[in-house]
Amino acid sequence: MLRVDKASVYFAARDGRPVHALDRVSLEIPDGAFVVALGTSGCGKSTLLNAMAGFLPLSSGSITLNGHAVDGPGAERGVVFQKDALLPWKTVAENVALGLKFAGVGRKERRKRAVELLRLVGLQEFANSAPYELSGGMRQRVGIARALAPDPAILLMDEPFGALDSMTREAMQELLVDVWSRTGKQIFFITHSIEEALFLGTHLIVMSPRPGRIVARFDLDFVRSFARDRDARAVKTSPEFVELRERVRAIVHQDEVYGRAAE
Amino acid sequence: MTDLATNAELETSASDIRVVKMRGFGIGERSTVPISLATAAVILLAWWAASEARLVPHLFLPTPVEVFNAAVSFYQDGYANASMWEHVSASLARILTAAVIAFTLGVPVGLFMGLSRWAKGVFDTPIEFYWPLPPLAYLPLMIIWLGIGEASKITLLTMAMFAPIAIAAQAGVRSVSLERVNAALSLGATRFQLMRDVVLPSALPEILTGTRIALGVGWSTLVAAELIAATQGIGHFVMSASQFLATDYVFVGIGVIAVCAFAFSFGMRLLERWLVPWKGQS
Repeated sequence: MLRVDKASVYFAARDGRPVHALDRVSLEIPDGAFVVALGTSGCGKSTLLNAMAGFLPLSSGSITLNGHAVDGPGAERGVVFQKDALLPWKTVAENVALGLKFAGVGRKERRKRAVELLRLVGLQEFANSAPYELSGGMRQRVGIARALAPDPAILLMDEPFGALDSMTREAMQELLVDVWSRTGKQIFFITHSIEEALFLGTHLIVMSPRPGRIVARFDLDFVRSFARDRDARAVKTSPEFVELRERVRAIVHQDEVYGRAAE
Repeated sequence: MTDLATNAELETSASDIRVVKMRGFGIGERSTVPISLATAAVILLAWWAASEARLVPHLFLPTPVEVFNAAVSFYQDGYANASMWEHVSASLARILTAAVIAFTLGVPVGLFMGLSRWAKGVFDTPIEFYWPLPPLAYLPLMIIWLGIGEASKITLLTMAMFAPIAIAAQAGVRSVSLERVNAALSLGATRFQLMRDVVLPSALPEILTGTRIALGVGWSTLVAAELIAATQGIGHFVMSASQFLATDYVFVGIGVIAVCAFAFSFGMRLLERWLVPWKGQS
C-alpha cells in the first residue's frame, strides 16, 4: 500500500515567488489497485508522481510505501515515462534487464527474465533489436517491461500513452490491463484523457490546478468487466460509461472555468 | 466493393511510376564526390600548366613530376640521415603518446567537471586561461623548463589536446537528460552504476567529437613544434628542406602531413561509427 499524506509542494517561480503546485493531497493506493489521476495540464498530477517516485522532495506531508518513508528514487517503485528513456546503445533485452543488472543478477538469468517480460508485452521477437528501430508504441511496451523487471511493489506511469496515435493507444490500454491483471501490481497512472482514465482505473482521482488538489474521487468497475468479457467497445459504449464520462467531463470543465476565474 | 475497383484502375506498371519526395533545401542528398574529384583534377592541371610554362620561378613552384621524383627518393633514400619511416614514426609517436595522455587525463577531468561544482570551479581557471593561447606561444617556456628533447614537445602537445577533450567530456555530461538519469535511479542504480551505464555512454559521442578536434589541434601543434626544435619528424623534414630551398621536398613533406592528418580523421570517423552507431538516432 502506498500512502500519500497531506503532500504539499511549492516551486520557486522565475521571480522567486513560491508557486503552490500541490496542496495537501492525501491518497491511498491499496495493493492490486489501479489508480488513475486525471486533470488538465498544471493540475499537479505529474508533480504528485514525481514525489511518489522520489525525484522531488515534498515541501510538507509524507509519502510511505508499505510503511517505509519515500526519500529518493528506488527499485521498489518502477516508473514508466511519457517519453521512453531507453538507452540507445543497449539492445531491447539489455534495456529491459537494466534494473536486474543494477541489482547484481547474472548475465544468463538477466537475459532469461528479460525475454519473459518481453513475452508479457508481446515483443519477444525484438529482444536483439535496437530501441530506435522500434515504433513509439513498441518502445513504450519496452519501457513497461523494463519498469517491471526489478519486480517493484508499484508501477508509476506518467502519461505513458500521451504521444501515441489513438489506435495504438487503445491497443496499449488493453495490453496494460493484461499486464496489470497478470502481475497484480499496484499502478498509479496519469492521463488527461477522460475515456482512458475511466477505462483503466479501479479508482479515479480528478485533480484541478492552482493549487493542485484532488476535487473528486470515484471507484470504477469498467476495467474489471473488460478483463472478464474482453470487449472494450461494449465497455466504452455502455450507458454507465457514457454517463460517468459526461459527469467527469463536467467536473473537469467546470473546474477549468473556476480555476481561471479565481486568478 | 467499390474500393477494389478503384484500386484496379489505379494500378500501373512499375516503369510508369514517378517517385517523388519533398522539395529539399541546401545541397540535398546527391554525392559531392565527383565534383570534388573534378576540382582536384583542375587544381593539379593548373599547377602542372603553371610550372611547365614557367609562369612562376622554378624555385617557388616545382613541377608535379619533380615532386613525385622527390617523393620516390625520400621514400627510397630518406633525408637528413633518417629514412622516411623514421621521420614519420617520430611524429606519429609524439602525437599518439600525447593523445593517449590527454585522453586518459581529459576524460575523467571533464566528467568530473560536469558533475561537481568544485571540480568545475577549480579546473575552469587554468583551462580557460591557457586553452585560447596558441601553443607555440608557450613552447619556448616548455623548452626552458623541460629541455629540447621529447619531453617538451609531448607536454606541449598534451596540453593542446587536453583542453578540447576535457571541455567535450564536460559538455557530454551536461547533455545527459534528467529523464535518463531518473529512469536509471528508479531502477535502483548506484552512483557508480549510473556513471558507468548511463552518463559515460551518453557523453561518448561528444567525447569522440572532442577527440577529433584535439587530433586536428595536435597535428598543427606538432608540425609547428618540430619546425622549431627537432632532429627528426616530418615537421623538421619540411623545415630542413626549406633551408636548402628544396621546394620539391617541402611539397612532399606537406603531402605526407596531409595524408597522416586525413588518415587520423578517417580513423576517428570509423571509430565513431563503431562505438556510437546510435548517434543522431536516440
